[in-house]
Amino acid sequence: MYFQKKRCIAMLLAGGQGSRLKVLTQNTAKPAVPFGGKYRIIDFPLSNCVNSGIDTVGILTQYQPLELNEYIGNGQPWGLNKSHCCAQILPPYERNDKKSGWYKGTANAIYQNLAFIDRYSPEYVVILGGDHIYKMDYAAMVSFHEKSGASCTIAVRNVSLEEASRFGIMNTNPDGTVYEFEEKPKVPKSTNASMGIYVFTWKVLREFLIADEEDPNSSNDFGKSIIPKLLESGHKLMAYRFDGYWMDVGTINSLWEANMDLLGKEPVFDLRGGEHSKIYARNNAYPSSYIDLGAVTVNCFIAEGSKIFGTVRHSIISIGSYVGEGALVEDSVIMPGAVIESGAIVRHAIIGEDSRICKGAVVGGAFGPGETKKISVTRKGAMVEANTVLLPGEML
Amino acid sequence: MNAMGIIFANIYDSSLGELTNKRTMASLPFGGRYRQIDFILSNMANSGIRRVGIISRYKYNSLMNHIGSGEEWDLELQQGGLEFLNPYFTGNAPSYQGKLDALHSVADYLEEGSKDDYVVLADPSVLYNIDLNKVLEAHVSSGKDITVVTKAGIANGKKRLDLAIKLDEAGEISDLTVDLAAPEGYLASMGLFVIAKELLLHHVREAVARNRYRFERDFLSLQYHENNLTVGVYQHEGVVLFNESTQEYFESNLAILKRDVYQDLFFGNHPIYTKVRDRVPTYYGENSQISHCCVADGCVLDGAVKDSILFRQVQIAAGAQVENCVIMNDAVIGEGCVLKNVILDKDVVVRPGSTLIGSPATPVIIKRGEVV
Repeated sequence: MYFQKKRCIAMLLAGGQGSRLKVLTQNTAKPAVPFGGKYRIIDFPLSNCVNSGIDTVGILTQYQPLELNEYIGNGQPWGLNKSHCCAQILPPYERNDKKSGWYKGTANAIYQNLAFIDRYSPEYVVILGGDHIYKMDYAAMVSFHEKSGASCTIAVRNVSLEEASRFGIMNTNPDGTVYEFEEKPKVPKSTNASMGIYVFTWKVLREFLIADEEDPNSSNDFGKSIIPKLLESGHKLMAYRFDGYWMDVGTINSLWEANMDLLGKEPVFDLRGGEHSKIYARNNAYPSSYIDLGAVTVNCFIAEGSKIFGTVRHSIISIGSYVGEGALVEDSVIMPGAVIESGAIVRHAIIGEDSRICKGAVVGGAFGPGETKKISVTRKGAMVEANTVLLPGEML
Repeated sequence: MNAMGIIFANIYDSSLGELTNKRTMASLPFGGRYRQIDFILSNMANSGIRRVGIISRYKYNSLMNHIGSGEEWDLELQQGGLEFLNPYFTGNAPSYQGKLDALHSVADYLEEGSKDDYVVLADPSVLYNIDLNKVLEAHVSSGKDITVVTKAGIANGKKRLDLAIKLDEAGEISDLTVDLAAPEGYLASMGLFVIAKELLLHHVREAVARNRYRFERDFLSLQYHENNLTVGVYQHEGVVLFNESTQEYFESNLAILKRDVYQDLFFGNHPIYTKVRDRVPTYYGENSQISHCCVADGCVLDGAVKDSILFRQVQIAAGAQVENCVIMNDAVIGEGCVLKNVILDKDVVVRPGSTLIGSPATPVIIKRGEVV
């Protein structure tokens, strides 16, 4: 079997549960959570790969992979369904050397797929997560890595000092080399937060993955194990500063915020893009959306196949959803196929896929400036019965 | 029961003027996200037809660009799939004149599909969402030579119909006319036919040998009236939109604003597929007023739009007023513009402050790429 040699391939870690997304990830993996009207979270790293000229992507799945597998399919929506351009789903599997089992950590997940990577004899491997919303040119980061001669380059972004203790922090010299990595430090020395995006020189990473697997005390994790070990052994690590929009959508509030960031005449995060910054998604064959005579649609995103009869303000209405007559949707994210029946009121909420908010029901509410945002959430297929109330911050 | 499909891409091209000046009838944009051929292709693909030939004549670049490999319709297959039957000129064989010699020129392709017993013939200028399996079943069980799919309520004594059929109380054909503005009560042919392949090939060869080119007149009607052909009628209950003139095209687009038409055409028997463009969802601005519209993806809307169809990536600036219009992709409508009863073809720029007013019967048409 002939495999084209690739200069660089990507490995996308998509196995996490995303437990902080609560009911939204009860039966599905976080990367498959809908976002922005017609996308799923994984569309962002996958499209970034395609836009960066990376045409071979291993997708490591573990938690509730049914929807994710179905969504990725053969990779056709991203153009990754060719003989030598592929999106390959890599689940844990049984081996004959007693090392079988679930992916123990991020590094172990890659270790278990050494054979996949070796087929392409890459110079570099990009390691990505499946839980961030951003547009990034990985090719520029790989060139940076190559020029610096480092063994590993870690994408970082500047966060506030208060936020810094929630992240892995890269302490760097003035030339950008990393001298220390601290996981969630109580007293941060710098504000360079790791974005969980790594470029490794494959032959170095390969060696470290094998050694790490032999170490019974290792957590088999990139941040906790591989990066510190590389630093200890004197390898050159570089921090690659990224200043564009980036949002970890690991919590209900951040997922809601990131959706809201798409709105406005000059949105905080602009999804629109030219040939090399488009976000691709699996398509659902929906027609144009239908906006009725009495509908009000203001400062909102409305995706294909939606039927709007009521009022929508400052919200994301996803593909194939329905907002009935006299219904009000405000400051909310309506996920694909959800139905808001007539007279229902939905405010500050995330309505899960195919949920139904029955006539006259009230979901969520307002909160004043400075108050903690309490987002109400419904799981996929949930039903809020007629004339009942789902309180602010409540989940169903 | 296997059937293959044949679509005549260039049918009625010449009657839509500017709109089909540089494209086929099949690739004429429709309904916000579609090209006309998407409807019949989706009907065929969703009904299990796995071999479809598209006969074109000229101006087929936009069509080939749109269809590509046929992947979006699941017609990129190892066996069968989609085939472009573009004309090639051998020096002694000019391009075809009618459907009969068009079919004659692709007889080899028809014969190749040895498993296909029946052929479904269709025009992309007529739009509907139909389950062709039911038509095929009806055709086979009727025992007729050819089945014509028809729609009631179209014939009005004014619209010229290629083929119109009158049924008597027993459901038998009492009249069959071609090229007539048939009176009310006649059933209008939807340009959709089912016939056994061998029989079709036989008649095509016989007709072309006698210099006969037109399918409805020179084959169907002629053979029927000479008692050489039995004709079955299948009446389609759902929505049918005919786009055989600019006015019909304008009205048909606006017709999808009716809830029942929208529902039946797009959510009826099955989905309608089209080429994926990966545009972002449409953004409705803070001061936009959008009422009774069908809106595709990728638009940025800040003005007031009423009773209109907006295709992909249309930009409408604040203060603009658009009413009863069909606005094709990538149009840019500047501040303070007033547009009423207008068809903007693709990539049109309307400068700020412009006024374009047509009438419902004769909409203003702005050519592709124009700046007005």
